[in-house]
Amino acid sequence: MSSPKIAVYSLSDLKNTTDDALPNYLTSLKFRQSHYLTDIRLALGYSAVIIAAITFYADWKLGWERTKYGTFWAVLAYFILNGALTFWTWGVERGKVFVGEIEHQSVGRNTISIASSVAKHTPIYNLTVSYTNSKGVEKKLELSSPFTRWFDVDGFFITKPFQQWLASEVPIIGQIDTKNIPGAGSGSGKVNGTSEAMAVVVEQKVDVQTPRKTTGSEAAPPSTRSRKAKKAADR
Amino acid sequence: MFSALSSLQPRQFLTQILNFALVLSTAFMLWKGLSVATDSPSPIVVVLSGSMEPAFQRGDLLFLWNRGMNTQIGEVVVYNVKGKDIPIVHRVVRRYGGGEQPLKLLTKGDNNLADDTELYARGQDYLERSQDIIGSVVGYVPFVGYVTILLSEHPWLKTVMLGIMGVMVVLQRE
Repeated sequence: MSSPKIAVYSLSDLKNTTDDALPNYLTSLKFRQSHYLTDIRLALGYSAVIIAAITFYADWKLGWERTKYGTFWAVLAYFILNGALTFWTWGVERGKVFVGEIEHQSVGRNTISIASSVAKHTPIYNLTVSYTNSKGVEKKLELSSPFTRWFDVDGFFITKPFQQWLASEVPIIGQIDTKNIPGAGSGSGKVNGTSEAMAVVVEQKVDVQTPRKTTGSEAAPPSTRSRKAKKAADR
Repeated sequence: MFSALSSLQPRQFLTQILNFALVLSTAFMLWKGLSVATDSPSPIVVVLSGSMEPAFQRGDLLFLWNRGMNTQIGEVVVYNVKGKDIPIVHRVVRRYGGGEQPLKLLTKGDNNLADDTELYARGQDYLERSQDIIGSVVGYVPFVGYVTILLSEHPWLKTVMLGIMGVMVVLQRE
């Protein structure tokens, strides 16, 4: 997975890149993503914009006197839709980056929703995860980690530690993605987090040097391939 | 920067476009809302000439109200002359009719020697209150209108500003 380089001091870059990576990871685990929150937001927003566009066109073609009453209703409708959009974004979506469900033999059927947030000027990623199983039992947990855990100093997103963080902190993900849980006993607390991420990065560098296939060293394959290609060229 | 835009998922792409469209449409609809409230096609105008000095200077921003149809002598009104599309702001100096009859007005710039008969359309000696007037001045802010004078005297500035705004909103995800 190649994500572009970002500015490590830009909090919104850090958050947006991570927000984008989260659904990618979960859908790769066969979570089915539901887009209804986004779709309703888009529908509300675009209906408002279309009303404004029609008003603009009518005003331009017919002039003020003939569009006066239509404009009144259009303005009313526009601001009602805009209010609904604001309510939807702040009252319903509330930073949700993933809503979906999962059906897996180890966990059964569950619906899950994950919201992310970042406090101002604090490079810590907060997640609120809540999932409900088929019996209606809801589990809610909050986790947070510094962005340094999955961004390297150059601003590249490293998939592995991010997935390991989620798999080890969120039971429902861990039960499905068992290979992403690091050795028993580790994987709790924020203090460990940073050093763990560093350990993983070091591990990956080792991978690059020795073209040995290990699980999920996703940064490694391209460089090994180029090495092979070079060797082939030498020969 | 644009490669970042093209790599977006369709929903994210639509969201970025929506954010930009909402900025523009909200500005436009606020303006139209003000039009509806004041019953004036152009509720805020900028003074372009010095014909009303010392009451209003070039660059003053005027707020109009078009709901009081019984305009009195001494009120400052903005009117459109048929066939010309630049609104003029001058003071009412004489009125005819009113009540049952349609109200007719004669205007004059405070700083002008003669009344406005010269400025009206050919053969027109007075203004029809209900047709020609787009509002009476109810408030003003000095100087701030200079920005729009600049924009209207150099139309390319508008294009540049709009372009910059658009690119910013589409590319930013703050």
